[in-house]
Amino acid sequence: MTRFIIIRLIQAFVTLIVISMVIFALARASGDPVMLIAPPMATLEDIEAIRQHLGLDKSLPEQYWVFLQNITQGDLGQSIQNRQDVTTLIGTRLPNTVTLSLSAIFLGLIVSLILGVTAACKFGTWMDNAVKFVAILGQALPSFWLAIVAISVFAVLLGWLPTSGMGSPAHYVLPVLTLSFFMLPIFTRLLRSSMLEVLDSEYVKLARIKGLSERVVVWKHALRNAIIPLLTAAGITFATIVTGAVIIETVFAWPGLGRLMAEAMIRRDFPVIQATVMLVAVVVLFVNLLVDITYAYVDPRIRY
Amino acid sequence: MEKAKFGKKLIQIWKYSRRFPVIPIAIFCVLVFVAIFADVITPYPPNEMSLTERLTPPFFMPEGSTAHLLGTDNIGRDILSRMMFGARISLSVSLMVIAIATIIGTFLGMIAGYMRGRVDAVLMRVTDAALAFPALLIALLLGVALGPSFRTVVLALSALSWAPYARMMRGEVLKIRDEDFVAQARIIGSSQARILIKHIFPNVVNTLVVLMTMSVGLVILIEASLSFLGAGIPPPTPSWGSMVADGRNLFQRAWWISLFPSLAIGAVVLSGNFLGDWIRDKMDPRLRQL
Repeated sequence: MTRFIIIRLIQAFVTLIVISMVIFALARASGDPVMLIAPPMATLEDIEAIRQHLGLDKSLPEQYWVFLQNITQGDLGQSIQNRQDVTTLIGTRLPNTVTLSLSAIFLGLIVSLILGVTAACKFGTWMDNAVKFVAILGQALPSFWLAIVAISVFAVLLGWLPTSGMGSPAHYVLPVLTLSFFMLPIFTRLLRSSMLEVLDSEYVKLARIKGLSERVVVWKHALRNAIIPLLTAAGITFATIVTGAVIIETVFAWPGLGRLMAEAMIRRDFPVIQATVMLVAVVVLFVNLLVDITYAYVDPRIRY
Repeated sequence: MEKAKFGKKLIQIWKYSRRFPVIPIAIFCVLVFVAIFADVITPYPPNEMSLTERLTPPFFMPEGSTAHLLGTDNIGRDILSRMMFGARISLSVSLMVIAIATIIGTFLGMIAGYMRGRVDAVLMRVTDAALAFPALLIALLLGVALGPSFRTVVLALSALSWAPYARMMRGEVLKIRDEDFVAQARIIGSSQARILIKHIFPNVVNTLVVLMTMSVGLVILIEASLSFLGAGIPPPTPSWGSMVADGRNLFQRAWWISLFPSLAIGAVVLSGNFLGDWIRDKMDPRLRQL
């Protein structure tokens, strides 16, 4: 087990290095930073001075080394937009995204648990079909449009909830609901199929024969085993949530990381994008590492 | 009595459409037709502004007119014409992305499955990383680095969408690489390349076609999300996603600006998924668990 974890750690580290190289290369491809900083009246000497000041006169490997050093020291550069440190920018935005996405994941999990299990237990009935229909529709409808409709109906037309921004608990309702809808279809479909498989197994039949109530059989015996395959979906879910956060935060003007990225995109603010992508890459690798280790723990056949 | 008969008929139609999805195929035919002949059939040029006809509602509304069947946006551009040109963007982006993803994914996946060992391990780790990484982030990164353009969108979407193909192809090749006919080809002295292309590839083509159909909807959806965020194809080129974004703040007064393009996205993605399911059941029922 230790060996497995060490190998996985090394692999994750190598992946991280590769990603940082790609980002570094793109940073250099994005245009000459000197031209962005230098005032329009700058002479050739001025430009050369700025170039030296930024260390851009050094060779590419040297520049990459400086880039790595800065990252490890938590120095992610300054935003081109407002000269703020990217580290502080991310620091103020990150908690908002974490609270939003954790609540959405929590809600999405509970709802998809209920929907998935109900659909599997009532296999082939109208309830099953209704859940399948919602899941298929949820995968096809653009979620950003759903968010716009939700704002129009509940915030503007009925005036029950605030349209956008962050503050009171009421501000959470619409963003959390729409963000959870991103992951709902995947989870419900996965849970339904894995639940169907488990419900057909011998030990569930045994539990029934023992005379346990249907509620205990389904929610205790079957569900516990049906959830395990969902672990593999954790990586995909994380990717969906990140994508969702960027879109939902933009629509709801939520002051989180996703909106920061969307804004940086429009202003072509490379330092911000570079830092956030790097951050997400680290989290993605970490989540996958956790999933792999948990899986190896649950299923010993996976270990080396 | 009448009611029961009617219900039965509905179920019959439903069952028939499961066997042969008429509606999704029709929607796709319309999409392809509109995308190809957009220049000829659109009532107006997609970027023609008409400030006197701003925010005209669709024809079925009291103030609407048949001059603009689906109404106009806030600078008087015809929604229907823009949607028709948007179809061209959606279709061409998804065709190119799927073509690139298929070529790269099939190549890497087949190599990994055939070679096994270290090559396989390295390739699969890369594939895993690509599978877990949000495509939207790569698109934003490339959009900032290279500037938003048609090329950037295709590049960004292809950068990650090859991964499912590689994964699937590897699995398929692993299954058949030890079959007798492959061993026989090796014995008579076929080269590795010949074995892969002539003997293994024809056996995995079905799976490939299924995967390609199933990803049409997904690619269109991501392209729309990108355009919605302003990281897609830059304006004024009409794209369904950016049309929804345009109408975002006007949803109360002029819902038609964003409703019709989003319905188009939903309908096309939905039919793509249905078609994918149908082709899968026809060609490769083993994949049903997917």
